[in-house]
Amino acid sequence: MSAATSYVRLMVVDDSNMIRSRISQVVQGGGLGPIHLVGLARNGAEAVRMARATQPELVTMDLTMPEMDGIECIGQLLKMNPRLNILVVSALSDKSTAIAALKRGARGFLAKPFSDDELRMALLEVMEAR
Amino acid sequence: MADNALHEAELKLFVDSVRRYFKATTLQEPQITSAFLGTGDIEGHDFNGIVTFSGSHNGHVIVSMPGALLRELLLLQKETDLSESNLLDAVGEIANTLAGNARSVLGADLNISVPVKLHGSSGIRARVRKHPCVITLRWGRQPALVCVDMERRA
Repeated sequence: MSAATSYVRLMVVDDSNMIRSRISQVVQGGGLGPIHLVGLARNGAEAVRMARATQPELVTMDLTMPEMDGIECIGQLLKMNPRLNILVVSALSDKSTAIAALKRGARGFLAKPFSDDELRMALLEVMEAR
Repeated sequence: MADNALHEAELKLFVDSVRRYFKATTLQEPQITSAFLGTGDIEGHDFNGIVTFSGSHNGHVIVSMPGALLRELLLLQKETDLSESNLLDAVGEIANTLAGNARSVLGADLNISVPVKLHGSSGIRARVRKHPCVITLRWGRQPALVCVDMERRA
């Protein structure tokens, strides 16, 4: 939670516009408490640049993306802010991928495809882990 | 015989994956209308998402859908941008999801590419196997097709 404001600053990272838009819609649809969307990034490199400017506190992170993948991006974002909460949202639904993401520092893993309720639940769990 | 077993396993994996995709995102399961081994060119739809496999397997999965299905899918998700580029993005993301989900069964050594998206209904041609697995489905009134053309590396 930001010191100056009462909302959580969220950045969505995914190379699919459909997924970025869907996560935005679910977040803005309520049920998650005060979350403010501060950025939509299309790949890991854009996410790192955007995070410098917007300082998110919560990130949803795809893994398979062009330019910089999600695993590399998690490492770079956590170097900038070790307290950042990252929820990986990926189609790579095997256990070893989830474990690799969590070892890298992500706080949660949600496999695609997901329902709106599954996304809300996963975001709440990650936020409660703060 | 072993080759046939691989076909069946792939078919089940991708049929289950297609069902799960629509159920999770739209709450409405598709009807799988057929699953067969394709011969020759396969007639697809206007919007195509292709993900290439490497690592433990070699080949690709193609998701082929008409614009009307993709528009309906996006509208259900409250998306207002129904441009051609957004329809291509959607079909690419569906291909990415189906391919990524395959790792839960085929293992983490299966590498998947970012999706390539193509507009146009030119015939889908098998590149790896002579007879790729083809799954046809209907979601609501809309038809769609998934073509799985992959083989395990020796």
